[in-house]
Amino acid sequence: MERIAVSALRKTFTLKPGQTVTVDGVTSDRIAVLDGVDLTIDSGEFITVVGPSGSGKSVLLDVIAGLTEATSGVARIDGIEVSKPQTRTAYVFQQYALFPWRTALQNVEYALEVRGVATAERRDKARHFLHLFGLKGFEDRFPSQLSGGMQQRVAIARALSTDPQVLLMDEPFAALDAQTRDILQSELLRIWEQIKTTVVFVTHSIDEAIYLADRVVVMTARPASIKEIVAIDLPRPRDLDIRNSAAFNAYRGRVWESLRDEVGKAQRDWALASSYAN
Amino acid sequence: MSLTIDRIPPIRNTFALRRKRARSKRPTALGDTFSTLMLGLPALIAFALLWEIAPRAGWINALFFPPLSQVLSVLWEMIVSGHLANHIGISLQRASIGFSLAVVVAVPLGFLMGRYPFFEKSSDFLVQTLRNTSQFALLPVFILVLGIGEASKIAITFYAAVFFLLINTIVGVKSVDPLLVKAARSMGTSDWDLFKKVIFPSAIPSIVAGARLGVKTSLFSVIAAEMLAAQSGIGYLIQNSSLMLETDRMYAGILTLTIIGLVLNYLLVAGERRATHWHGTGESGPN
Ligand SMILES: Nc1ncnc2c1ncn2[C@@H]1O[C@H](COP(=O)(O)OP(=O)(O)OP(=O)(O)O)[C@@H](O)[C@H]1O
Ligand SMILES: [Mg+2]
Repeated sequence: MERIAVSALRKTFTLKPGQTVTVDGVTSDRIAVLDGVDLTIDSGEFITVVGPSGSGKSVLLDVIAGLTEATSGVARIDGIEVSKPQTRTAYVFQQYALFPWRTALQNVEYALEVRGVATAERRDKARHFLHLFGLKGFEDRFPSQLSGGMQQRVAIARALSTDPQVLLMDEPFAALDAQTRDILQSELLRIWEQIKTTVVFVTHSIDEAIYLADRVVVMTARPASIKEIVAIDLPRPRDLDIRNSAAFNAYRGRVWESLRDEVGKAQRDWALASSYAN
Repeated sequence: MSLTIDRIPPIRNTFALRRKRARSKRPTALGDTFSTLMLGLPALIAFALLWEIAPRAGWINALFFPPLSQVLSVLWEMIVSGHLANHIGISLQRASIGFSLAVVVAVPLGFLMGRYPFFEKSSDFLVQTLRNTSQFALLPVFILVLGIGEASKIAITFYAAVFFLLINTIVGVKSVDPLLVKAARSMGTSDWDLFKKVIFPSAIPSIVAGARLGVKTSLFSVIAAEMLAAQSGIGYLIQNSSLMLETDRMYAGILTLTIIGLVLNYLLVAGERRATHWHGTGESGPN
């Protein structure tokens, strides 16, 4: 069953007054970021997105999340056009985005709180999700008292507490050390296999992309469209050791091959991007 | 699920670690006050002794500087007679009414100005101008317009506090982390909830810091106003005693003011700590 459908999605930003960008000798105050993205994602699928930095991966997630309006084209969830944040969608960020004045438990409760769930019920639910991520005993800690890995666990628990049908994750593990990252990848897969929500996961790590995904989406350099979609036919449940297998290695080569040219293009693009400040 | 690797704490400089522990274990507010007291006590005692001995020995004029014991005994009399409580009550009442009005006006206004650039742009010039006009310079104006009654005293305390609160509310609202706003929006937070549950809590530390400054200037302003035009309050007590050359009473009043200032400061610092208790405590969880 089709859950997310993105079709002919374009996004152009208008720069702030005084800022311009020059592409192929043409100076403009507009910057094209997404240039016709088409993507359909089935319900329960785990999709990872890789692409050069600045190619518009975060913007794509923002559009699916209903936080940014597309310039043209649409994103649909369950057939309904997304124009504002949906209650069935959850979003996890690289920088955790926890409320520093709320404890771990209160942070997880937040999403339920703004949905009007009664106190006792949301507390139970929040506790359940914290425990699911091995955070028993840390309910009353403030984010400043938790390590990065634990903070991201809280953020994911918060996202999952509302039983989302769509889980958007923007480089959620990029700020973590290698071991913590491995552990969280496995934890995420373990929990996803139980709840089978639809995941769109942006990453810069090719290994992470392959390890997690049913399909890896490779984006072109900006203005971005989809370059290639690589179906990952590895058995589940997956063990971290799978990364040493020949099959995995083949996928690694394939995704890298696809990405290499785009990263080269993006590097030229960065030189250009530095001509205007954000 | 194995979390062992994840939970090994990183190797750190043990000395620094121990020092940090020692500091964070002590109940900070109380501990700091206590050690400050112990360290400061000798100088304080010396000062008290000098105050007592100098006028008695005739080093200074006892009419202008009565010995400390005399001041304390007058102070005690005023406490027992209820006189002092009366003056304190009146001063605090004026200051707190003015301050509360300042909160009621400044916080909502600060929210609008911090959140909507139009409000800020259109009022910034006026606010900057008013802010740089001393409340003391305006006291004659308040008295002219509002009379010498309660209103002019409340007005000066209001004026003294309102800008600290306003500016700090604006700063607090503006400094909200855009990522938190984005995250809140993604969870379907309504505009009202965004104010209540995200922007307001982010702004609290800044507002409380403004309130701390505001409370102090409110109190000092009311004292000044009472010295110029009042029939009651600590300011009146000090000024009136000075005019009557009852210098022991005057010093008793000054001493009272000092003590009120110290207690207030302590309470405000404690209040500020409470309001920002979630800030980094130095103690971090297992990695
Ligand atoms: N609000 C905005 N106004 C103008 N330009 C923007 C805005 N948001 C994003 N951009 C531009 O859009 C492009 C894509 O940004 P985006 O954050 O989606 O990239 P990304 O693929 O997520 O990069 P990274 O991998 O580094 O996170 C960038 O060049 C960025 O400068
Ligand atoms: Mg990004």
